[in-house]
Amino acid sequence: MYPRILIRKLKPNASIFHRSNSTAAQPLEQSKTNEEIKSAKSPLDHPDFFQVHNLFTVKDLFGARVHFGHKEGSLNELMAPYLYGSRQGHLIFDLDITAEHLRKALNFTAHIAYRGGIICFFNRNSLNAHTVEKTALECGEYAHTRFWKGGIFTNANHQFGAITRLPDLCIFLNTQNNILNQHTAVRDSAKMLIPTVGIVDTNCNPNLITYPVPGNDDTPAAIELYCNLFKSAIKRGKEARMKFLQENEENT
Amino acid sequence: MSNVIKLTIRQVIPVSKYSSCLFNSLNKHVREYSSKTVTNADDIFKQFTDWETLSKKKTVSKAMKAYLERARQHDEFMKKQEVEYNIGKRHLANMMGEDPETFTQKDVDRAIEYLFPSGIYDPAARPLMKPPEEVFPARKAAEFDEAGRPHHFLFYTGKPNFFKLLYDAAEHLQESYKFEDKVIRKKAVPDQNSKLELSSSMWVTKEELELILMEKVTDLEYENFKLVMERLVSLPYSYRCIEFIEKYRKPLASQKFALEIPKPKFDEEGRAYITTYECLRKKARGDVTIFSPGTGKVTINGRDITYFEDIQSREQVIFPLIFTGLANKVDVECNIEGGGPSGQAGAIRWGIAWGLRSFVERSMLESMQVAGLLTRDHRRRERKKPGQPGARKKPTWKRR
Repeated sequence: MYPRILIRKLKPNASIFHRSNSTAAQPLEQSKTNEEIKSAKSPLDHPDFFQVHNLFTVKDLFGARVHFGHKEGSLNELMAPYLYGSRQGHLIFDLDITAEHLRKALNFTAHIAYRGGIICFFNRNSLNAHTVEKTALECGEYAHTRFWKGGIFTNANHQFGAITRLPDLCIFLNTQNNILNQHTAVRDSAKMLIPTVGIVDTNCNPNLITYPVPGNDDTPAAIELYCNLFKSAIKRGKEARMKFLQENEENT
Repeated sequence: MSNVIKLTIRQVIPVSKYSSCLFNSLNKHVREYSSKTVTNADDIFKQFTDWETLSKKKTVSKAMKAYLERARQHDEFMKKQEVEYNIGKRHLANMMGEDPETFTQKDVDRAIEYLFPSGIYDPAARPLMKPPEEVFPARKAAEFDEAGRPHHFLFYTGKPNFFKLLYDAAEHLQESYKFEDKVIRKKAVPDQNSKLELSSSMWVTKEELELILMEKVTDLEYENFKLVMERLVSLPYSYRCIEFIEKYRKPLASQKFALEIPKPKFDEEGRAYITTYECLRKKARGDVTIFSPGTGKVTINGRDITYFEDIQSREQVIFPLIFTGLANKVDVECNIEGGGPSGQAGAIRWGIAWGLRSFVERSMLESMQVAGLLTRDHRRRERKKPGQPGARKKPTWKRR
């Protein structure tokens, strides 16, 4: 049951060679974009207003072991398009694709932060829970790394005993509750129309995630990298917001 | 007079539902109601609210509006209760014929006990009149700002304070590990003197933890709390976060007998003596007097140790003397009545041990405590049950 797409990708050696020299995901040149950003009136006018593309390079991802997936047998068919191939039975992500998705996700996160949205980090892996909570604390956002009591989103007013504002963005550092089940918050955020960013490993289902980022969701080094990236994206968004507020105050 | 009692009773019985309230302005600020301090890092980003503030139209979120309404109602309710309490207190003072101005809570408790005598076993169920702040549980302050953004970064877990505690513990653990690594790199060893001394205290109980955190904690979560704290304490450099650990420890109840030991009296011959009254065991009761310089003479109801015919009872009587090594150094006199030999022997045994506290060292006192000499035996005869020959004995089982 080898995924078709893998076979297609693995066949021509030339394409692998081509990919290793790819510059598609490399950072854009700064000088041009800065002028464009200044001219942009609304952050939405510019495709990368917060310059999130220069937060990381594909080499950083490789260094943080983002490319390691799970074993072949546990592959979720829907993750096949994001794979580069398999080595000794372990699936390897195509980091060019990952980088593209991650940049989209970071851009979205920065925009949400700019608009003062509530961002909530999720993670059910106890090894990385502390890193994730620390990240949330440092960037002034929220975290939920504990047992998910059903109904926190879907029955919030009852759960918290008052009308409660739900998060505007959920970031899943891993989307699985355990190796078998998906985190219930993924489903619940989809139900409540809360956009989600999720690191999806080869054994995860990306279907309900708004911004899936294919990548390793177990290794502490990788999680640390993701946390730092999301933190800096949020900080950029908030700084831009601060600047905007100050300018507005001066004008009025 | 009837009016007075009505007022008092209304205060005495806790009101569980909010009374109806009038509508007032919504413009009171959140912080007014905070009974809990919010411990978020003073972050510049906390100033942010949401998109509405960006466009200078400051609107209050739905969550905040609802909260403000509830807080206002609670506030009014408490004010009303406070007024009623003060009136009730004044009436009570008049009824007791005392000055209402100097009538304290202690006097109130006394007056209630006098005016509403109650034989209910559980003190918590008896009538009471306490200031409303004590009767009604403290409420959590608003957990979010005007824009609906929660103050606490773990708000969505539902138990932010508890999980913040676990987070802090993990943070201290990691710091401790890092420090240990640093010390090892410098080839130093941990300082033995600054090691944590925790034998005189214990972890707070689940109920106390709930009070500290203002949150309900499940048994499993309490176990997790204890586990992570034990782990923190077991590290060689845990003394560096002593303040954090001490917050969740409470002192063990110290042994009290040191304070209560009576001083011996002296008779006309100059001998120190001490009498223990009310030596009880089963149906036996009596008193035991111990004279300190003595020869080991034991007098029971005017007779010597042969008062008891069986060996076991005699052993019971002299056991505390032998245990403390004072068998030939004190005289014992006792009057005992009621019960049988074993009950009487047990009563004397306890009386001798209780009296000997005044004549022994502190270390011996502790070993007496451990040996169970100072413990009263409260067991009584169990009643016979109908349908069976004894308290527990059943008739012989026959198939038919």
